[in-house]
Amino acid sequence: MTTQQSEQSQKRSDYPHITMVPTRWADNDLYGHVNNVTYYAYFDTVVNKYLIEHGGLDIFAAPVIGVAVETMCRFKESVAYPETIELGLRVAKLGNSSVRYELAVFRMGGQDAIASGHFVHVFVDRASNKSVPIPLAIRAALEKLKA
Amino acid sequence: MNTLTNTDEITCRDDCTYMMDVPTRWNDNDQLGHVNNVMYYSYFEAVVVRFLMQEGGLDWMTDQTVPLAVETLCKFRRSLSYPDMVEAGLRITKMGNSSVTYSVGLFTEGNDAPAALGHFVHVYVDRDTDSSVPIPDHFRALYKRYS
Repeated sequence: MTTQQSEQSQKRSDYPHITMVPTRWADNDLYGHVNNVTYYAYFDTVVNKYLIEHGGLDIFAAPVIGVAVETMCRFKESVAYPETIELGLRVAKLGNSSVRYELAVFRMGGQDAIASGHFVHVFVDRASNKSVPIPLAIRAALEKLKA
Repeated sequence: MNTLTNTDEITCRDDCTYMMDVPTRWNDNDQLGHVNNVMYYSYFEAVVVRFLMQEGGLDWMTDQTVPLAVETLCKFRRSLSYPDMVEAGLRITKMGNSSVTYSVGLFTEGNDAPAALGHFVHVYVDRDTDSSVPIPDHFRALYKRYS
């Protein structure tokens, strides 16, 4: 499946990894919706949690870390605290040192994404900041998320 | 002010038609010692919101027609870190019937290339029905001036 095609399909079943995320009171802005910026905090949290729990990433000491180089989100319907939402995660492209995740936001039990976007990580040496190949344990975890 | 020709991207300060200073805060940095990727969007939002209030007189509390974010994107080129003073700039690069695209960039002292660049798309909606409506004439004129 190409990146272009995969980005067009945003059903719940298109995402192999689903995480429940409770919204918080302070996520709502003065429109009474979760603020657009906060969606990226959900993305960031879901991606890192996956790397920690499934790829063995040690965020305190790992010599190689993921750095965000591009992110994007399209907002279709609003959500608001106190809803709990579900975040879908898949891998659209796995390169030598970079990975493109695609994420989608669903209402609890919802089948169609109400927001969707992407997140590109490049893995770098923590000390030199130079890009390096994705560590094997993380690569193996990311392979499982390929759409 | 430059004329943007073959790209809608902000490439230097002169591409911007409106700018403001955004001081970074201690808590903007994440564990890696950089401003977290999510915060870049709050800087983008800060300049867009300030522009609409200061130059367009938008009243978020009472205006019947209000803008909602429908798409945002950020390309991260250099890391920011507290206590950097960030200059956030924008330029209107696309205007439709009810939507408008702000190209945005973040700059730091001593460097004319943006540390991050991207876009922010607003659609105007009726505050009660959430249905899209034409951009009010007053804002349409404002956007033309800042294109």
